Amino acid sequence: IIDPYVPPEGDARLTSLSKDGLKQKMEKLKQSAASQLAHHKGEPITGLEQLCCEHRLRELEGRRLQVCPGCVKGFLGKDSVKDLDFNKQKLHSLVTERCYPDMVRGNRYKTIRWSFVESLEPPRVVHLRCDSMVNKDNLYGQVTVRMHTRQVLAIYDRFGRLMYGGEQTPKDVLEYVVFERYLVNPYGTWRMHGKIVPEWAPPKDPIIKTVMIPAPALEPSQEYE
Amino acid sequence: RWLASSSLLPLSCIHTSAHLEKLGKWEKKNRVVYPPQLPGEPRRPAAIYHCRRDIKYSHEKMWYLAKLIKGMSIDQALAQLEFSDKKGAKVIKEVLLEAQDMAVRNHNVEFKSNLHIAASISGRGRYVKRIRYHGKGMFGIMKISRCHYFVKLVEGPPPPPEPPKTGFDQAKEYVQQLRNRTLVHTL
Repeated sequence: IIDPYVPPEGDARLTSLSKDGLKQKMEKLKQSAASQLAHHKGEPITGLEQLCCEHRLRELEGRRLQVCPGCVKGFLGKDSVKDLDFNKQKLHSLVTERCYPDMVRGNRYKTIRWSFVESLEPPRVVHLRCDSMVNKDNLYGQVTVRMHTRQVLAIYDRFGRLMYGGEQTPKDVLEYVVFERYLVNPYGTWRMHGKIVPEWAPPKDPIIKTVMIPAPALEPSQEYE
Repeated sequence: RWLASSSLLPLSCIHTSAHLEKLGKWEKKNRVVYPPQLPGEPRRPAAIYHCRRDIKYSHEKMWYLAKLIKGMSIDQALAQLEFSDKKGAKVIKEVLLEAQDMAVRNHNVEFKSNLHIAASISGRGRYVKRIRYHGKGMFGIMKISRCHYFVKLVEGPPPPPEPPKTGFDQAKEYVQQLRNRTLVHTL
């Protein structure tokens, strides 16, 4: 991810009237200046100028919604449900190569059920970057979208036992999703590139099972304190 | 032998597993995925299959150890194997420890002592014939025997042993057999 966006502290919580809110605004302006530069850089090539339109945003949100059920379908184990099979090709078309292993690792023999309940705020484009890799002509555009949504996630292990989350409890999720597109290709699509997890994010729920942390190795003369 | 799907692979596809020799049936049993359970159902006990191939030992001698371990809990089995004098005991102990480790890491088993041995089997491996030289120019053909060892660990306490069959039970069964007879071609 080129120049990751640093989401301001307490994004969903502060108003613009308090001191912290003003600081946030200053940082936002600074960052948006850089974004404007990127905007101009990308303009002659393709559709970055259309990004700020609403319909594009909705398209991106739709993409995100497509990606996650795509992933869900992807992650179901071979034998669990017949019609939802792991479709590597579709997943690759929705997610970039950098994001793919992050998503898929450790999931081969697990069942993941993910569903989108509703969107609490309309998604906003927060950050724009446009950069070239390797050659000067290889232009990639990266967009960070801030989404506040309600989702349901449940992960089951190989034997069908619940490992994480629950299907009945929707959770409010504020996330910053980065989408990337290969701008040179006129038929390129916006694919999910990664997520930015801010440091002030609330801690995730603990997993259901208990895990043993091995004690530090002691010499025979020492005692554990 | 098992696919290192949970190891850290920086920026490379997860699906690169080194293609080892053909996977046997026992190894493939670990790939079965069950559908998610409904909240009302009783919890399905986890079953982990592990094996070691081509152990340089005779499978008849390995059978004695496998039979010793069969219904025990994993801690008891490890204790018995540690103090057994046989060569195969060391190998089986390693296999059990590997399987326990695998269970905790990959198969979402919560407590590593909560496992018991549901099945332990020894099978014949590939034999190779060699010449054994005797005196006076005589020779014999010696076979180098190998064996495989298979374990199935299941989560939960070990099942209670079956009570031995008493004479009273046998007598009851005999009487029941007599009562089950039917008269054919009569009134």
